[in-house]
Amino acid sequence: MLSRRQFLATSAAAATLVSTRVSAADIKTLQVYIDGDTNISDWWNNILKPAFEAANPGHTFNVTITRGVADGNGTIAERALAALQAKADPQVDYFEEIEPASVAGSVEAGLWLETADSNVPNLKMINPAAVQTPIRLPYRGSQVLIAYDSAKVANPPKTFADLVAWAKANPGRFTYGRPDKGGSGSNFVIRAIHEANGQDPAAFTKDNFEAAKAEEMLQKGWAILKDLHPFTFGEGTYPAGNSPALQLLAQGAVDMIPAWSDMALQAINNGGLPETVKVVQLQDLALCGGFAYSAIPSNATDLEGALALANFMLSPETQTSCVRDIGGFPGISWDNLPADLKAEYIDVIPVSIPTFPSGDWQTAKNDGWYKNVATNIVRD
Amino acid sequence: MLDITKPSGGLAPGQTQRTGHGFQALAGLALVALPVGLLVTLILWPTVRMVTATVLVDGTLSPERYFAFFNDAYTMANLRYTLEMGLVSALAALGISFGLALYLRFSAGRIATMIHGLSLFPLFVPSIIISYALVRFLGPNGLLQLMLEQVGFTQYRTPYLTPVGPFLAFVWENIPLPVLVLSAGLSQVSDHAVEAARDLGAKAPRILWEILLPQMRRSLLIAFALIFMGIIGAFTVPYMLGPPAPEMMSVFMQRTLGNLHDPASAQVQAVVLMVISSIVGGFYIATMVKSSAGAR
Repeated sequence: MLSRRQFLATSAAAATLVSTRVSAADIKTLQVYIDGDTNISDWWNNILKPAFEAANPGHTFNVTITRGVADGNGTIAERALAALQAKADPQVDYFEEIEPASVAGSVEAGLWLETADSNVPNLKMINPAAVQTPIRLPYRGSQVLIAYDSAKVANPPKTFADLVAWAKANPGRFTYGRPDKGGSGSNFVIRAIHEANGQDPAAFTKDNFEAAKAEEMLQKGWAILKDLHPFTFGEGTYPAGNSPALQLLAQGAVDMIPAWSDMALQAINNGGLPETVKVVQLQDLALCGGFAYSAIPSNATDLEGALALANFMLSPETQTSCVRDIGGFPGISWDNLPADLKAEYIDVIPVSIPTFPSGDWQTAKNDGWYKNVATNIVRD
Repeated sequence: MLDITKPSGGLAPGQTQRTGHGFQALAGLALVALPVGLLVTLILWPTVRMVTATVLVDGTLSPERYFAFFNDAYTMANLRYTLEMGLVSALAALGISFGLALYLRFSAGRIATMIHGLSLFPLFVPSIIISYALVRFLGPNGLLQLMLEQVGFTQYRTPYLTPVGPFLAFVWENIPLPVLVLSAGLSQVSDHAVEAARDLGAKAPRILWEILLPQMRRSLLIAFALIFMGIIGAFTVPYMLGPPAPEMMSVFMQRTLGNLHDPASAQVQAVVLMVISSIVGGFYIATMVKSSAGAR
């Protein structure tokens, strides 16, 4: 057995060895923050990281997952804003996904680095469906679809009314996730609210929230969902997130759920869902979706590396991986990707992507759902 | 009367005087300074700040946030659900553990050792693992349902996403700790007392009621307080296994802070839960103090 002295000597030598090797190579590590679901953080760690290291020798990145912790990346952005004001190190170089406008005062303070095709050349290929602004880098998209087991459902619904009719005709075979715990349930709830308000997503904007009016508009949506409530799985025991909903579908406990296009396609590809599961989009008005926007804090310690990462993310190779590996749709236009890829994934190429404003509307929607729909539980 | 409740290892005569001298007293204080300092800066001070923040509305003292809390039916339903869950699960876990501890106290041999090991097993399983395991085991088309259907029982209704789900997980999770506490308590009950009662013709229920339970009151209270406080503050189990509404306070608090961006209400929820925990914690401390006073 090693004596204590020997042990200390050996470990000190080992530590020196490690530190010299690192400093000799002079590898710069970017700090990347991710609050998206597991499929996204896994993709970054397992596939993008080695590819980025190979494409940019001397650079690597470290992923920190903030999913489910306080306000996720929003909290980290607040810390970066405080660091900007204190002229300190923000300890973050890259936000995988962030809405700069939701971090109060950050845009005015100049927290976000402006990007254009001058410093991120691949931006010239950007997907026209994505709304690019100088401080937001769209790089992947997804949309909520209806996933169903084709072995049990012969005619998948084409409209929201069809969907409700199917759910009522097949009690307990449909469910959706709680709206605050994941986008698939959230966007289904939004689709019901859209349905109740003339199928018009434009009726909800970031600036038109007004408590009394909102209450009236949301109540109409709650009426639809309360009506559906007793026909959902377990008479209203909505699963707590995107993955738990997929799990119910995988276990054959339900036959139809709303699901993120990327999560569902990835699960079908890797055997997480049976091969008989298919996806379909509603034809009268699609469910919501959108692009994930990355942003770089202007006070990042390694701006050059962060810009290299941004360019890497928008390269055709990474974007092909985005489609193949995570079932997302690309942040650059399809013309820049292999033609066979487009043919293969024609189902998820969105025609229109309705959106729902963040902020007050989201809060009112989530809390309203808990107080109006979820509490209406009848148990035997 | 012989005090058979007296634990071994009490203070030896004269021991209390040892700490009385200058240098040693200082050394003792220096030793406790670090933990006490951490307690004050990391727990007490933030707590005081938070409690103060909840009663200050725009700079003036006001209980209005608490009125809002107690007047909101949804919030009160969550609080009631949390307390009921804590009470029912803690009592169930305590009952099972007491049975196990009794068995272990009066049995020996390989089977007893195995049961002892098994009863401590949940101590080493994180909540997130037990939650996932229960989803697969108790969930729809899970192992239990498949086994029941093999023997012809087809009326199974999964407890997953109903209050029964977290209840089962809490009971399973909270068996080891009371088994340890109650076993320690039971080991202090002298064999002589039990044998004497038996010789006088007392049956098992009477021994339990008149010999064991009176001496176990303190251990039972301590075990109950510990698991009750653990359950009402638990997050993962109700998040993963529980119904969407009512929510347990921890899940509700996280949603209020993270999703509704309403830290003021989340703080009020935290203070209310803390006060309830403090009351139960008070019982625990009182019991502990009484027991160490009794030992002297």
